[in-house]
Amino acid sequence: MTIDFYWRLPTHGCHGSLRQSAYDRGDWSPLAAHNIAPGLDRNDADDGYRYIDHLAEIAKAAESVGFIGGLIPSFPNTDDPWVISPLLARETKSFRFMIAFQPGFLNPVHAARMAASLQRATGGRTVFNIITGGGGPGQLWWGDGFSHDDRYGRTTEFLDVFKGVWKGEGFSYDGRFFQVENGGLSPLLAAEEVPEIWFSGSSDAALQSAAKHADYYLSWLEPFDQLADKFARVKERTAALGGEQKCAVRVDLVARATEEEAWRDIRLGFENVSEERRKQGRGGPTDSVGAARQQALKPSEARRYDELIVGPNLWGGFNLLRGGPALGIVGSYEQCAARLDDLIAGGADAFILAGTPHLEEAYRVGEEVLPLLGRRAEALLQAAE
Amino acid sequence: MTIQTYWQIDVAADATRSEARARPNAPTLFRDVRTDASNRHDYYAQIAQAASQTAFDGLFVQYRPESDDSLIVAATIAREAPRLALIPEFPAWVGSAVYAAKQAVSFQRGTHERLGWAIAPSADAATRARDGDHVPTEELIERTEEFLKVARGVHAERPFSHTGQHFEVQDGGFEAPLNGVAFPRVFLQGDTDDELKLSARVADVHLFAAAPLSTLRRLTEELSLLSRAEDRSVAFGVIQPVLAREFADEAQHDAQRAGLPASAIVGDYADVAAQLSELAALGFAYFVLTAPSSLEEAYVIGQHVLPRFRALTETVRAAS
Repeated sequence: MTIDFYWRLPTHGCHGSLRQSAYDRGDWSPLAAHNIAPGLDRNDADDGYRYIDHLAEIAKAAESVGFIGGLIPSFPNTDDPWVISPLLARETKSFRFMIAFQPGFLNPVHAARMAASLQRATGGRTVFNIITGGGGPGQLWWGDGFSHDDRYGRTTEFLDVFKGVWKGEGFSYDGRFFQVENGGLSPLLAAEEVPEIWFSGSSDAALQSAAKHADYYLSWLEPFDQLADKFARVKERTAALGGEQKCAVRVDLVARATEEEAWRDIRLGFENVSEERRKQGRGGPTDSVGAARQQALKPSEARRYDELIVGPNLWGGFNLLRGGPALGIVGSYEQCAARLDDLIAGGADAFILAGTPHLEEAYRVGEEVLPLLGRRAEALLQAAE
Repeated sequence: MTIQTYWQIDVAADATRSEARARPNAPTLFRDVRTDASNRHDYYAQIAQAASQTAFDGLFVQYRPESDDSLIVAATIAREAPRLALIPEFPAWVGSAVYAAKQAVSFQRGTHERLGWAIAPSADAATRARDGDHVPTEELIERTEEFLKVARGVHAERPFSHTGQHFEVQDGGFEAPLNGVAFPRVFLQGDTDDELKLSARVADVHLFAAAPLSTLRRLTEELSLLSRAEDRSVAFGVIQPVLAREFADEAQHDAQRAGLPASAIVGDYADVAAQLSELAALGFAYFVLTAPSSLEEAYVIGQHVLPRFRALTETVRAAS
């Protein structure tokens, strides 16, 4: 068995360090002399670099240390993964582009055509992270007026059509959300592989939809036992429907040569969290079940970083240091690898890893942590005791 | 007005070029070490390089449902042709106007604002149904207008709200830094009354199909009147097939072989440049030039016709 490891591309800017909250890589914080991409030269003039150049650096770094590809997230204030992927396609060789998107935003026939083109442009390096639960009332920001459970119905139909037209011409479909009459991709495009589909979503509606269409069921990190239960449930339900579901975890790491160094980064980051940032960490209203579970950890009420240690090498305050999920792994290279091994034992078949700053941490995790996987890290830890 | 010359990439033409997969199965004498990794996208990139090297201002990527998506093609070649404007043509049924605007913003950010939007002419009802588009024919103009209104709205304002026939947004609009780039220049097409009226209301550039000068003169006058009535000005463009050779007889000969449409401008270098400058004199400022075997013809036109065309239009401008 081999496990696929993806690295995340920060399409919303990146911090230069987990210790500081400024997005000083990219233009999401006010531009200053120490910001990079877009780069300011010594005279504070625009030197022509853009954030895409920095994303290209991260993608190439991840590719060079053996990550199979990268998740390219999508939020209202990020650059768009459908554009990032082709912009970087010809500058990378093996890096897979995992496009996060919500099916309601594109006509499924158009999406299939775009995806097939991207498959050809990249030699089959396109992957999809289908998001459905999403942002609750914020959905109307995107121009999407459907309710939570309706959106899952729509996602199921979207993927029915997306895969249906991919089989070639003469495809018809009469659904509640989508109708196609005698359509289908041309042979030129239909010859490409349908991209692997990754699904997010913890609700019952999500699991039903995933069982029909997803290759991977993707979850944020949760306490390990809880996650193992969830994965077992997903696999069981899919098997009952005659399918097979792989499971994947999206997790941040702080991996350092020693455990002390790793926690020191967390402590310094935690001590720099402003009251304003704490409030943001509470999160807004959401009808995403996964987001609600993470909010229940209440990291914004903690006064010391170690109040948020919820298990061995498991810290629940990452959302105070940067946007996104609360739980992440903190420890030495061996400990981080051992925890990833634990997750594999708990049913994880693939990972989307991330670390801040994304460029340097891609090298660190790729060079120091990944080679220890497969219980080598566990043996090293036991030998050291 | 500065004249812009764009070269057209027809993604449905030359579909097997650079495709190692399209090699014949029969054994041949030569050793072919190409892998499946080389394909038609390498060819698109080559056309982009050719257009760059021969000093075109941009590329117009045609919407062809039977082949690669124009936005994907434009984006895959964008970073290899760092100067060219990129105008992918796409239909107004692609999906959410907000999402299209968001993609445009990222494209602009990643390419130093080189994106243009060309909305493809409407297809017939059966073709649209094949693509999952069931908006009634009589609403197509209105849908395109609303699509552009919403896309421009979320780009320009925050909060932007809109409830319409086809799109709905509540408290939308981009924050910094996404709101720091220009909205793409919008190219519309068509020669019906409704299409000209739509352009008068919302187009930056109206692209006419190649036609005799007298027809184009009438259409541009009509559009001028309509846009003046809207208190706007719309630039004129033309999608013009061309074929130029050193000698006119060679051009005629190759034009017959290539099966060019009657509206094509065919002739020696100087003659083609002169005919293009007649269009410029009519007020055309955007020239989307096109010919089959796109790569080779881009070199011919870029190397031999464009310099002559530029010299002629500079004379025209100096005289006016």
